[in-house]
Amino acid sequence: MSHSSTRTGYALGAITILFFGLTALLLSNSWGHPPARQQIALVDKAFLEKTPWRQTYTDLVQAKEDMSDFDCYGCHDKKKPPVLRFDANSILIVPEEHKNIVMGHGSHNRNNLCYNCHNESNLETFQVRDGRELKFADSTQLCGSCHGPNYRDWDAGAHGRINGYWNTSLGEAQKLACANCHDPHAPRIPTHHPAPGPHALRTPITAEYSPVPTH
Amino acid sequence: MSSPEPTLHSDQPVTGSTDRRSFLRSTAAFAGLSALAASLAPLRELKDFSSSEEFLQKYYKELSPEEMKKVLLRITDEVEHQYGIRPHVRDLKPMDGVEFVYALNLTRCIGCRKCVHACVAENNQSRSPEIQYIRVLKMPHGSMDVEKGNHVYDDKEVPDKGFFYMPVQCQQCKNPPCVKVCPVNATWQEKDGITVIDYDWCIGCRYCEAACPYWARRFNFTKPEIPADRLNPEMAYLGNRPRKQGVMEKCHFCIQRTRVGKYPACLEVCPVGARKFGNILDPESEISYILRTKRVFIQLKEEMGTSPRFFYYFDK
Repeated sequence: MSHSSTRTGYALGAITILFFGLTALLLSNSWGHPPARQQIALVDKAFLEKTPWRQTYTDLVQAKEDMSDFDCYGCHDKKKPPVLRFDANSILIVPEEHKNIVMGHGSHNRNNLCYNCHNESNLETFQVRDGRELKFADSTQLCGSCHGPNYRDWDAGAHGRINGYWNTSLGEAQKLACANCHDPHAPRIPTHHPAPGPHALRTPITAEYSPVPTH
Repeated sequence: MSSPEPTLHSDQPVTGSTDRRSFLRSTAAFAGLSALAASLAPLRELKDFSSSEEFLQKYYKELSPEEMKKVLLRITDEVEHQYGIRPHVRDLKPMDGVEFVYALNLTRCIGCRKCVHACVAENNQSRSPEIQYIRVLKMPHGSMDVEKGNHVYDDKEVPDKGFFYMPVQCQQCKNPPCVKVCPVNATWQEKDGITVIDYDWCIGCRYCEAACPYWARRFNFTKPEIPADRLNPEMAYLGNRPRKQGVMEKCHFCIQRTRVGKYPACLEVCPVGARKFGNILDPESEISYILRTKRVFIQLKEEMGTSPRFFYYFDK
């Protein structure tokens, strides 16, 4: 009899310790601090910028920038139109003074010729194929003289950027010009570094899981 | 055992020590109480109970202008209390003769994701955990199957050769499945075509999230976290005012901007002009021109019958 009661005592003691242990675990879990949130880095404010990639001639004039680049006859002679030079493959050689210009208008170098747009008899203007002379500020018309469908769409608001107000009775709509996005000498939009994607808390890209077949 | 009466339990312990039954009983009671206390512990983290005003607030459509004024004042105070910035909260109603439509030029989109982050900044989404309304899908050329889209692409440079990019956000359907399933009418379609959510009326059941075929709705699983210096103080009741834990949110075509005549934030930041927005009821608007003349070939998941007000088009 006394033997069995000792055994019961041991069992009770073990259960008691188990209970207290579980209780302590429960309390420490629920009264402790919740697990810290994974902090996600804030996006670089450069990705929130609305300013266009480029400034047009008109923008530069308005911003009162240094316009010496557009003062052609500061260097060139008014009476002598500059002569274009070509290499062995008939590709235009960009002179040292204009090294900042990358020629890349159209495929197969067919349009990389200065006087297709610039006016050789007055370097501070453009010339259109139909014989018109245009000021630097009217560059969109020059672009439109060749790129008809795009000019038509831009005019209707379907191509290019418009910022400000969709309802023009409530505010101004700022329509950007061709040269705000396209470099006239190399109009193709270059590649860009993308903003960070969604934080991959749930969808890690691993070797086993790739939603898009790699090429 | 000096008692003359024979005891029923001869082995009864002496007075002062506990018997097995009462020991087990008290232990069980203690454990039970501890478990109860533990289960109630999360309540202690609920620091700011919603005010009684908010609790007793009427349904949005039943609020009189005076009551609305009070509600806006309460929200202004709450935001100021929480972020230290006094916001400009308005209740903007739809304009007459306006139905908003969005069009996205898939030929132009370069997948730079600027729209995603401009949207987050404009609409005060939670930064951590992250809530974003726009997903930019990177899709292989020659397919419109969204199943092949990848929205977590991590390229150094975009656009990638052989892929096009398709941003997806709330499509502002004409026949919105999310509105149909809401058990409390906390989400509805306004007459300018925007499907809105009253964050004070939402019960967080997430039916709408399940009903949406575009994965456009987001749920605040935890209290949203927005750094005060990134808070946009220009707010609208049905738009970008800060949300609380346990409510749904989604793109609302930047109500706080578009209902005062401005373009949405995602459009303004787009560096290539792929995003177009406007009033479809105005035949002179650029959006009318696009739908009239462009190859508008897709309403996403057209077969669902949702009739989105968000169109994808190509230039050539």
